Amino acid sequence: MEEGTKPPVDEREIIEGCLRGSSASNRAMVEAYGNLVLSVALNVVGNRQDAEDICQETFLQVFRRLDRYDRERSFKTWLLTIAYRRSLDMLRKKRRFKEFSVRARYEPAVTGKGGNPHPADPAPLPSKLLKALSPRERTALCLWAYESYTAKDISEVLACSASTARVYLFNARRKIKALLENDHGLLQNG
Amino acid sequence: MDFCRTVDILYAALPLRPFRDWLIRTHMERCPRCQARLISREDARGLLVSPEAAGDADALWQRIISRSDGPTAVPGPAPRREGLAWRWAAAAAMTIVVALTGFWLLREVERPGFDADVIAPAGRFQIDYINVGGAPAHTFVYQPQGTDTVFVWASKTP
Repeated sequence: MEEGTKPPVDEREIIEGCLRGSSASNRAMVEAYGNLVLSVALNVVGNRQDAEDICQETFLQVFRRLDRYDRERSFKTWLLTIAYRRSLDMLRKKRRFKEFSVRARYEPAVTGKGGNPHPADPAPLPSKLLKALSPRERTALCLWAYESYTAKDISEVLACSASTARVYLFNARRKIKALLENDHGLLQNG
Repeated sequence: MDFCRTVDILYAALPLRPFRDWLIRTHMERCPRCQARLISREDARGLLVSPEAAGDADALWQRIISRSDGPTAVPGPAPRREGLAWRWAAAAAMTIVVALTGFWLLREVERPGFDADVIAPAGRFQIDYINVGGAPAHTFVYQPQGTDTVFVWASKTP
C-alpha cells in the first residue's frame, strides 16, 4: 500500500483509483473481492494451488482491462465472469496434461462436508461430491449458495440464457442431493 | 413418481437441448416431489468453500505484487495502442495493392492473347490426315498462344 494513503472502500472509488493506476486501490480491490474470487475458483477447480493461480491471473487481467468494464453492469458479476473463464481455461489445461486427477485433493465423499481430511490443515477444500458436477454446474451452485445469485445473474457469468442457467442449477442441486442420499444410505448400511 | 421418472427418461432421450431444458425447468418448478429432491442452500454451503474460509486477501495481494515485480508494477489499465492507426493504414494499403493487382490481371486476360476463341481454334483449323512417303505420318500440331500461326510437324512413320 502507498505510504500515508488511506485505502478506498467504495466500489466506484476503488475502480476509479485502479483506472488511475493507484496501488492502494488495486490492493483495496484485492482485499474486497480476493476471497470471493478465490472461493469461486477453488470450488470450480477443486485445487488450492490452481485456484490461487486463477485468482492472481484474474486480478491482473482486471487491472489491465478495467477500462473495458461496462459501468451499467455489476462489477462483481464482471469480475466473477473473468474468474470463471480463467477457471475453465485452467481445467482445459489440466485436462490436456492429465494432471488434474493426480493433483486434486478432496475430502472422503462419505462425510459430505467441506474441509480437509486433516483438521489441523487451515486450508479447506470443496467436497469430493462436487467432482460429479460439470464446471458450469459447480459455478452455478457456488454462486447460488454463497452469493444468492439468481438464474439471471448466473447466466451473465456463464454466458448463457437465464433458463439454461436455471437448468444447470437444478441439475447441480439434484445430483448433489442424490449423491448425499446415497452416501447416507452407505453409512447406514455399512 | 412415475411421471417424474418419465420426465427423466425424456430428458435423457430428447436430442435437442432447448427442449430438454424446457422440460426439466417446467417440471422442476411445478413438481413438489422433485423440488424435495434438490439440495438446500444450507447443505450446499456445507460442501463448498466459503469466501471467508477461502484464504487470506493480504497473502493474495503479496503474491500478485511479487508476480508483477513490485507494488508499482501492478498493471494499470492497458494504454490505448498508438500503433492502431498505422495498422489500419497498412491494411488499407495492402487492400489497394491487392485490388490494383487484380485489376491489372483482369486487363491482361482481356487482351487478344487471352481470347477464348483464339485459344480454342478447333473450328478454324482441321487436318484429316498427312501422308509422308505414301504412308500416314506422325503429326504434331502446335499453335503459340496469342497468335494465329499454326505449326504442323509431320514425321515419317518408322
